Amino acid sequence: MLRDALVLSLGYNATLVTLGAAILGCSAGIAGSFLYLRKNALISDAISHATLPGLGLAFMLASSLGFDGRSLIVLLVGAGFSAALGLMAVSWLTHMTRLEKDAAIGAVLSVFFGFGVVVLTIVQNNPSGSQAGLEGFLLGSTAGMLLNESFLILLTSLVAFALLVIFYRPITLVSFDEGYARSIGISVRLVDYLILAVALVVTVIGMKIVGLILIVALLIIPSVSARFWSDKAHRIVILSGIFGALSGYVGSAVSAVSLGLPTGPIIVLCSTAVFVVSFLFAPRRGILSSMIKSLRFEQTLHLAQGLLAIAQEQPIYEAKTLRILKRKGYLRRDSVPTQLGYARAQKTLLNERRWAYWINHHNGTQGPHTHQISTLIDIEQKLTPDQISLIDQGLANAQEGRLA
Amino acid sequence: MSNLALVSEDGQKLETFKRDDLTIAVHGLTVNYGTTPAIYSIDVSIPAGSLTGIIGPNGAGKSTFLKALMSIEQPVSGHITFHNQALRDVRDKIAYVPQRADVDWDFPASVSDVVGMGLYSKMGLWGRMGKSAKQKINGALEKVGLTHFADRQIGQLSGGQQQRVFLARALVQDAEIYLFDEPFAGVDAATENSIIEILKELQDSGKTILVVHHDLHTVTEYFDHALLLNKRLISFGPTQDSFTKDYLAKTYGKPIDPLNREHVI
Repeated sequence: MLRDALVLSLGYNATLVTLGAAILGCSAGIAGSFLYLRKNALISDAISHATLPGLGLAFMLASSLGFDGRSLIVLLVGAGFSAALGLMAVSWLTHMTRLEKDAAIGAVLSVFFGFGVVVLTIVQNNPSGSQAGLEGFLLGSTAGMLLNESFLILLTSLVAFALLVIFYRPITLVSFDEGYARSIGISVRLVDYLILAVALVVTVIGMKIVGLILIVALLIIPSVSARFWSDKAHRIVILSGIFGALSGYVGSAVSAVSLGLPTGPIIVLCSTAVFVVSFLFAPRRGILSSMIKSLRFEQTLHLAQGLLAIAQEQPIYEAKTLRILKRKGYLRRDSVPTQLGYARAQKTLLNERRWAYWINHHNGTQGPHTHQISTLIDIEQKLTPDQISLIDQGLANAQEGRLA
Repeated sequence: MSNLALVSEDGQKLETFKRDDLTIAVHGLTVNYGTTPAIYSIDVSIPAGSLTGIIGPNGAGKSTFLKALMSIEQPVSGHITFHNQALRDVRDKIAYVPQRADVDWDFPASVSDVVGMGLYSKMGLWGRMGKSAKQKINGALEKVGLTHFADRQIGQLSGGQQQRVFLARALVQDAEIYLFDEPFAGVDAATENSIIEILKELQDSGKTILVVHHDLHTVTEYFDHALLLNKRLISFGPTQDSFTKDYLAKTYGKPIDPLNREHVI
């Protein structure tokens, strides 16, 4: 059954929803990655919660004027309008008062959401509104998605995507270095408006599928996952789009075959799975890889110090050093150095002396960087044979000087 | 722009200097934070081709002064011209280098990405990073000694290296006027030397340079002009005239001996 959904052979409606969710996931991932780079991810929470009163009010207004209040366009315009109002409230609060952004966001989202719930309750209690199905916007639903709705998602996603690509440079510049961006004449305010407008549009079109409560997750989680995989801004944006698309695709397929499970939460769980995999297994930035790295580093450190101690015939007290030396076969079980251990120790000592000489005679400018430890770097790998023989010459001369 | 040349008796050109009107001219510049003035009514004319140190205690408005010059902070009042032109006409001729602490170094960008940002003002939104752009970036990286770090993520650099990345970004901008906000903060002695060397080279090629500076005992060595500031302008002029004990006492509100290492503010 799930396989059918994934290969899009579960019927017209399920296919439509799956594709729509994938496109939505992609544009939410991309829009969210710019919010993330701009360190403004939390604002998406205010946007999404602030849509609710607009949704209810638009329904009431349209119905009272004799239009069909359930028309998607009417609802989305209403939602977009009240979300924009919410954004303005956040911006007004942070500029006009001493409130920090997080506090302003918290205040605005709860007030708007509370008001929205009140409006929605009134709509539900009204006999004409009981069939509005507005509660589907809270957690998302795949039911009854129409072709023109998928086109709406596709079209808005394309426009949003194009805007972000066109303004990629100013957006990243403002995100990294606002002062410099201003100094070359970029309007930080316009860039922020652009990022927020795109996030707002994606939120509004995504409400139907994912639901306004969880659309935040689709904006934020893909970019946070992508950060684990790359140190390049443009790759994070692209990866974030891919992760979002994948979550939307798999999530809506799963939701389509398991009746009764709302789409939004399933999509969010899928993107959480992507996050967990990234967080654990991403090369370099993932926690497994950094744990392995730090373990290895610790081991090399103990090894080098242990070998130096052997070479200089000093006692070794640390149990961990002893254990590592024994495991490598450099010490016998009774802590007496082996033949191999002696040879290794001499080599480490020579490496140490060569480095010391090189750093002394080159003022430290060509040696390892100050945050590196020369003991751990094989000098024969770093310097040319000519340089090594110069060093050895120098060391020999110094030795003679001491003897004479 | 006509340049005047100082000519020795045997007709050899000794020095070219620009005419008096080629200055950064500031009139009545005031910037407020809320109701407290950050800088108040500054009048000063900084001659072209000078290397000026901006000196003053913490909170004296040194950074604000630079930011106001670039309209990064909006002044409440004041009139500023660069070589008799308004900022909007000469923006791409001015390179601004923010404080290192002003930006997020964990941002996903490599060293050459950041240096490349110095070309944005000339390339616009879509200009391709072509061969000549790459050459400029590499040239600047070589100049500041970061060639081997081009692909390094900026967060993995030391403080001095990060400062040199900023310097390289300013260099590719190929400006006439350079504004540095504390380029020596938190850098090691070797980096400080290499930075001041590059600043002096820039000056030798006719650029005008303003540097917010904290370390009083290097002022006379580094700068030919000094601007002492504590909300108001205390003094400006050639270093030997404006960086005096009297003016320093006025600036810091207590006697200061610039040669005393204790007085590194």
